[in-house]
Amino acid sequence: MSAWPPAGLVWRVAALSLVVVFFQIGVVSEVPLFGANADLTPLLVAFVGLLGGSMLGAVTGFAVGLLVDLTLLQTLGLTSLVFTLIGYWSGRLRELRDPQAALTPLIVGCLASATALVGYSLMEFLLGVDAPVSFDLLRQIVLGTLVNTIVALPFWLVVRRLLEGALPEDPRRRRRRRAYTTGGLSPLSKAT
Amino acid sequence: MLALLVVLSLLLLTAYFGEASGGRLHGLQRTFLSVVSPIQDGANKALKPVRDVFEWFGETIHAKGQRDELRRQIDKLRPQLVAAQAERRQYQQLLSLYHLNQLGVSDYHPVAATVVAKSPNIWYSTVTIDKGTPDGVRVNDPVINGEGLVGKVVAVEADGAQVDLITDSSMGVSARIGSSNATGIVQPKVGEPNDLLMQYLPANYRPNKGEYVVTSGSVGGADDSLYPPGLMIGQVTSVNEESAYTSVNVHPIADLHNLDVVEVLTAASGSRASNLSRVIANLPAGRSASAPAQGEQLASTGGGGG
Repeated sequence: MSAWPPAGLVWRVAALSLVVVFFQIGVVSEVPLFGANADLTPLLVAFVGLLGGSMLGAVTGFAVGLLVDLTLLQTLGLTSLVFTLIGYWSGRLRELRDPQAALTPLIVGCLASATALVGYSLMEFLLGVDAPVSFDLLRQIVLGTLVNTIVALPFWLVVRRLLEGALPEDPRRRRRRRAYTTGGLSPLSKAT
Repeated sequence: MLALLVVLSLLLLTAYFGEASGGRLHGLQRTFLSVVSPIQDGANKALKPVRDVFEWFGETIHAKGQRDELRRQIDKLRPQLVAAQAERRQYQQLLSLYHLNQLGVSDYHPVAATVVAKSPNIWYSTVTIDKGTPDGVRVNDPVINGEGLVGKVVAVEADGAQVDLITDSSMGVSARIGSSNATGIVQPKVGEPNDLLMQYLPANYRPNKGEYVVTSGSVGGADDSLYPPGLMIGQVTSVNEESAYTSVNVHPIADLHNLDVVEVLTAASGSRASNLSRVIANLPAGRSASAPAQGEQLASTGGGGG
């Protein structure tokens, strides 16, 4: 797991989480899109993990999940558990692979949303909610994932814009940049 | 750290799930909600315009979908509506004919026919029906609908017949006004093909506007039709006094623009009406004959005379 992030980043993430949770509850949840509602909270957790690493991702996931459960009077700890895992895995993806493709946020957002929806449903079933696995439920999961994938890219731009000033410099990126600027990775420099 | 958070989540989950609704964690949740509620309320109010904008977009898209769906439904239902309206009109006409038959026209052996073609010009002075010689239809047979006199048959084939409407320029029908004895000839009005003119009324006779004009049950010659007496032709709209005799403008009662079902009064062979028709047909050419007595007699027996 990565080191503890700087305080500035933590404050920014905390403020952003509060705003996003209330925006989600007050606006996004009430505006259906193609028959489903977008859920920005798993996207936020995944993107924070992708930008700030596994530690920040996991803690943000736990905190955002707890906030959601407290605010919506849901089973306490349920969303926290699912979001913690999402935040952690997103952070690990950055730490291990550091994907730079333009579509990375889209794919991460899609996977995070699907994980959140499926994970939440599974947990509810495990806890003994008396509901059948119906076609409607599967449809809602697919539609919700689809809608979240659509909003993932613009939301990623917003989150990155708000956090990038406080993000710590990644040592691996620094090394890579230095190698390119000093010609460390150039075949010509190797030849000499 | 991950393990710690996961364990913490599981502990919370287990504790929350295990406790009663009045437990500590439930209480904590309620307390948190009471603290957050004003903030949430304020945020809700502040974000309402944003929500409205999003909703407006969503509702517009939804409304467009509904509009397209409704248009498809209208396209689907329109032919059904047209068919239903046509059926209803036909039913009403048949009902009127039925009522007319109850009044004595049935003695003329009416044959119901459907109008299959109309004169394509705006005057609609001739129509073609789907009944012909095999059905007993003959030239000069009167044609009526539920509202009154429509015209007479002018040509018959095996599978159809042509009918001149009362507004055709060749037509002339002996008629009387209301219950009076004042008789005259109803002909199309020159220049106004949808209106009729009743001529040759007594000079001192002044009919009232709105009085009904009915067939008199008399004929003007061998080529005239044997219209049963008392068939409705039209209503007096105005009186002209410019000549030696009185003439009145008459508006036809029958809607000649919407003829779907009519009846041809065939006067079957051997019937009194048929016999009279034969007598009339044998009259010397050019001689006018009037037979009010016969008409009255036929009228009293439920038939008609010419």
